[in-house]
Amino acid sequence: MSGERQAVRPSGLTPAHALTAAVVLLVAGIVASMYQDRLFRAQRAHELTVQGEIVAANVTAALVFGDMKAVQEHVAALGIDPAVAAAAVYDSGGNRIASFVRLNAEPLPGSLRDAPLNASSPTLLVNVPVTHQSETLGTVLIRATGEPLSRLLTRHAAMMLLAIMAALLMAFMGASQRALREANRQLESRAVALSETNQLLQTEMEERSKAEDALRQSQKMEAVGRLAGGIAHDFNNLLTIIQGNLHLLGRIDAHDPETIQTYVAGADVAADRAGQLVRRLLAFSRRQPLMPQPVDLNELVNGMRDLIIHSVGDGVDVQFRLRAKCRTMCDVNQMENVILNLAINARDAMPHGGTLTIDTDDVSIGVDHSGTELNPGDYVQLEMRDTGVGMNEDVRKHAVDPFFTTKPHGQGTGLGLSTAFAFIRQSNGSLTIDSKPGKGTCIAILLPRYVA
Amino acid sequence: MTTTLRQARVIAGVLLAMSLAVPAHSADRSLEFAVKSTFLYKFASFVEWPAGSFASDTAPFNLCVVGADPYGGRIEQAVAGQRVDKHPIALRQLAKAEPQSGCHAMLISGSSRQTAAEALEAVAGTPTLTVTDSDLGSTAGIIHFVIVNDRVSFDIDNVAAARNHLVISSKLLALAHSVRTAEGAR
Repeated sequence: MSGERQAVRPSGLTPAHALTAAVVLLVAGIVASMYQDRLFRAQRAHELTVQGEIVAANVTAALVFGDMKAVQEHVAALGIDPAVAAAAVYDSGGNRIASFVRLNAEPLPGSLRDAPLNASSPTLLVNVPVTHQSETLGTVLIRATGEPLSRLLTRHAAMMLLAIMAALLMAFMGASQRALREANRQLESRAVALSETNQLLQTEMEERSKAEDALRQSQKMEAVGRLAGGIAHDFNNLLTIIQGNLHLLGRIDAHDPETIQTYVAGADVAADRAGQLVRRLLAFSRRQPLMPQPVDLNELVNGMRDLIIHSVGDGVDVQFRLRAKCRTMCDVNQMENVILNLAINARDAMPHGGTLTIDTDDVSIGVDHSGTELNPGDYVQLEMRDTGVGMNEDVRKHAVDPFFTTKPHGQGTGLGLSTAFAFIRQSNGSLTIDSKPGKGTCIAILLPRYVA
Repeated sequence: MTTTLRQARVIAGVLLAMSLAVPAHSADRSLEFAVKSTFLYKFASFVEWPAGSFASDTAPFNLCVVGADPYGGRIEQAVAGQRVDKHPIALRQLAKAEPQSGCHAMLISGSSRQTAAEALEAVAGTPTLTVTDSDLGSTAGIIHFVIVNDRVSFDIDNVAAARNHLVISSKLLALAHSVRTAEGAR
C-alpha cells in the first residue's frame, strides 16, 4: 500500500525544497551584492588613488620648493569631487602640512605617527606617497565619503528585489505543492474508502447471489411440490373414475353388454385422460422426444380450422389471416396441441363471446432489435389475439409457470401454457404474452424459418 | 634610507621655516639667498637634458656661476653633498659664459666683462639651463627669480628652454609664478 502511495505522489518541489531554494537564492543575492559592493569599493579606491596620484604629482614641485600655498591649493581642489570627505598632504616626517575637510566630516589626523593608517578601515582611505627622484617627500591621504544610504539601497535594490521575488515565488510554489500533496492525500484516502466500499458491495452481491440461488432452489422445490400435488389430484380423480367404473362393472349383470360397454368406455376415457396427463408431463419435463419437421403453419391451422371453431363454441367468432409464406421447423403434434390449448384459453377468457384472430406472417429480427431473447434472423410468426378479459401484470408474469391457473378448480391443470412455452423454447422459438385487463390478450409465437 | 629621510626632513623643516616669510629688503637677506641657492640645484631635478649631455649616470652635474656669486657663498653651502639624480653637483665659477664651457645649469648675474644678455646669447642653443635673478637685472634667462608677496618665486621661459633643447617638467611649470610659452605668457 505504501508503495502505491509512493507511486501516486508527484515528483517535484516539496516545501523543504522550496525553502532551501529560496534560502540559496537569498544567499546568492547577498553574495552577489557583496561582490558588487567589493567591486564598487575597489573601483572607488582606484579612482581615489588616481586622484591621489594626480595630487601627489602636482604637489611634488611645491613640496620640493616649499610652496605650502600651492600644496594647499592642490589639496583643496580635491573638494570638487563629492566622493572625497577629507584629504591631506603629509611631509616626509608624517606631519600634516595641508588638508581639506568637507563640512561635517571628520578631519584626517594631524600626524601619521599618532594614527597609523588602518588598512581595514570601514571607510575608504587611500594613501599615495609623493616621490621625487626616488625620494619620498611625503604622503597624500584621501578619505572617501561614506556612501549615502539611499545610494547604497539603490545599488542593491535590484538584487534585493530579485531575491525577494524569487523567495516569494519559491514560497508560493512550495505552498501550492503542499496543497497539491494534501489534495492528493485526500484523493488517495477516498480511493481507499471507495475500494473498501467496492469490496463490501462485492461481498453483498455474492451473498445476494447465494440467497437467490437458495430462493430459486426453494421455488423449484415448491414447483415440484405443486406438480406432485397436481398430478396426485388429477390422477386420483382419474383413478376414482376408473375404480368407480370397474366397481360398477363388477356389480352389474354380466349379460347386459350395453351397460358393460358404458362402464368400460368411462374407464377407458379416464385412462385416456391419464395417459394424456402423463404425456403432457413428459413434454413439460422434456422427456418426450420431439420430432421436428418442416411445417407449413398455414396448412396446419387450416387443418385444425373445424376443431378450433368447434372448441371455442358459438359465441366466439374466429378469424384467420394466414399470410406466412415460409415454413418452419417443429414437432407437428405438439404444435397442434399448442394451438388448441391457446384456442381453449382464449375461449375461457371470453365467457360472453368475442373474436379470436389467428395470424401467421413472415418476420425478421434485426441486429438492433432489442427486447427479445431471440437471435437476429428470419422467423415465422403465429399470433392468437382474443378480445377477452385480459390479464393483470402479476398474472401475466406467472402465466407460463407450471400449474399456475386462473381457472376454477378442476377445470385447468395449469400446464397448458407452461407446456406450450417449454415446447416453443425447445424449438428455438419464443412465446410472448401481451395483455391488459379488459383489453384482451395477444400471444405471439415466433419459430425459426425452415431453409431447405 | 634613514639618511635620506633625515635629510629630507631637515630640508623640509628648513623650507617650512623659510617659506613662512622672506623679507625682501631686510638688512639680513641671508635667508633669501639660502632659498635661492637651494632652488638652484633643485630646479635640475625637474629638467630633462638631451641625451648625451652627461658622459655617464654618475658624471658630475656642472652648476656654473658666471660672474660674482650674488648669494655670498650660500650656493656652495647649499649644494655641498647634494646630487641631481645620481650626478654629484660640481660648482664652478666662470668669468664668462661660453658655449663649450660644459655647464648644465648656469646662474648668470652679469658683469662688466659680459652682460647677462651677452652671457645668455653665448649659450643660446646649447643644453644649458640659464638662471637669472630679477634682483640683479631685468634680463631673464630660462628661469628668472622673482619675489612675489615676500616669497621667492620664479618665472619660466619655456620657449628659451626649448631653444636650449631642455624639457621642463610640468610640475615645475605649475609652480612657476608665470610661464612664457610658444602660445604666450601664462
